[in-house]
Amino acid sequence: MAKFHPELDLLTEYAAGSLSLAQAACVAAHMNYCEQCRRTAGQLEDLGATLFDSLQPETVGDVQLNAVLARLDDLPPLSYTKVEQPLAGQTPALLQRLMRGNFADLAWKKITKTLSISYLSTGDPGYEFALYHIKAGGKIPEHTHRGSEMTLVLEGGFSDANGSYHQGDFLFREPSDVHAPTALQSEDCICLAVLDAPLKFTSWKHRWMNPFLSLRAG
Amino acid sequence: MSEQQGNTNDQWKAPSGRRTDEWSECLTLIAANEDRAAFTRLFRHFAPLIKAFALSGSNLSATVADELVQEVMLKVWQKAGAFNPEKAAASTWVYTIARNCRTDMFRRLQKFDTPIAADDVCPEQEGEEPFSQLQSRRNRERVREMMKELPADQAQILAKVYMEGKSHAEAAGELDLPLGTVKSRVRLALQKLQIQMESYSYG
Repeated sequence: MAKFHPELDLLTEYAAGSLSLAQAACVAAHMNYCEQCRRTAGQLEDLGATLFDSLQPETVGDVQLNAVLARLDDLPPLSYTKVEQPLAGQTPALLQRLMRGNFADLAWKKITKTLSISYLSTGDPGYEFALYHIKAGGKIPEHTHRGSEMTLVLEGGFSDANGSYHQGDFLFREPSDVHAPTALQSEDCICLAVLDAPLKFTSWKHRWMNPFLSLRAG
Repeated sequence: MSEQQGNTNDQWKAPSGRRTDEWSECLTLIAANEDRAAFTRLFRHFAPLIKAFALSGSNLSATVADELVQEVMLKVWQKAGAFNPEKAAASTWVYTIARNCRTDMFRRLQKFDTPIAADDVCPEQEGEEPFSQLQSRRNRERVREMMKELPADQAQILAKVYMEGKSHAEAAGELDLPLGTVKSRVRLALQKLQIQMESYSYG
């Protein structure tokens, strides 16, 4: 069961449909693991429906109604595949689709001895949407962010100065938060990270890499 | 914000004696017998709201707004079979379809090339608990009541975020307010409406 969650304002943007595609996909992936957030999002959607119900109605004429009625015949029959209930512990279906396979099949780019990154394409031009693979016990060099970073733990777990995080845990880091996550000793860690600006390594040993860490949005 | 039209016939007594609402009943009839009369009633109620939703805070033309109305209502017809009156409230269900269609339409208009549809990211609500429809209705009745008491500046932000689909940052830009102010107004509004998460820590 996830212990770290998106804050209410992020869930509000999610429920209102005003969150960017890449960030919304990350929040949705967290909900795969988290019934509490699904319920909260449901309440926030009810709020949306209340606001929707009290809009000042616009005129829609019978021409429109008849146009729609005429098109009903052309529609495929009333069959509709039910949205699959998320299975606890399984990689979210949306991510599986973007990955087109398993973690092992992806192209991984080696950044350090213990860190590899695989970029997924969401089509969102404002955000990089990538999987981070950290070897068991491995450390991501201390870094800060030029923008915001959403992280969702998919496999294994990691810890930093603020706590330790396991499958389904969701973190949101503001620019300038410095941290150096370390994967748990017992197993490799895979995280989803959504960034709107590249990482910036702060330690002298890794700073030389900063110019190469351009944002791979899209 | 105006009073809802047709509020008085929002609820009626079904023959079984079970209290239900007219719009859930319509959806059930469409799913069961492709009932066009029921669809027409739904259309007359929701189409004007969907059009208003399409036009809120956007520069969409009336023609594009009408296209969105058609698209949403066709989806309502097609998906009626997936609507479960025990689990979801009809108006929330229609609202989420309208929200997703609008998101997809905005992305199409911006020539956004993506393999992901809004439905993939925000599927329609499938309340998992029993009686969630009742809870959801109580929730909405309470929210509707309390909404009247909301200070104008908080109501304005909620309308921007929900009805205009603006992020907090966009709302801050448009209203020339610091982002922190927008976020705290949203937080205060949700507090007054008693929408909260169970106590847990944040990431």
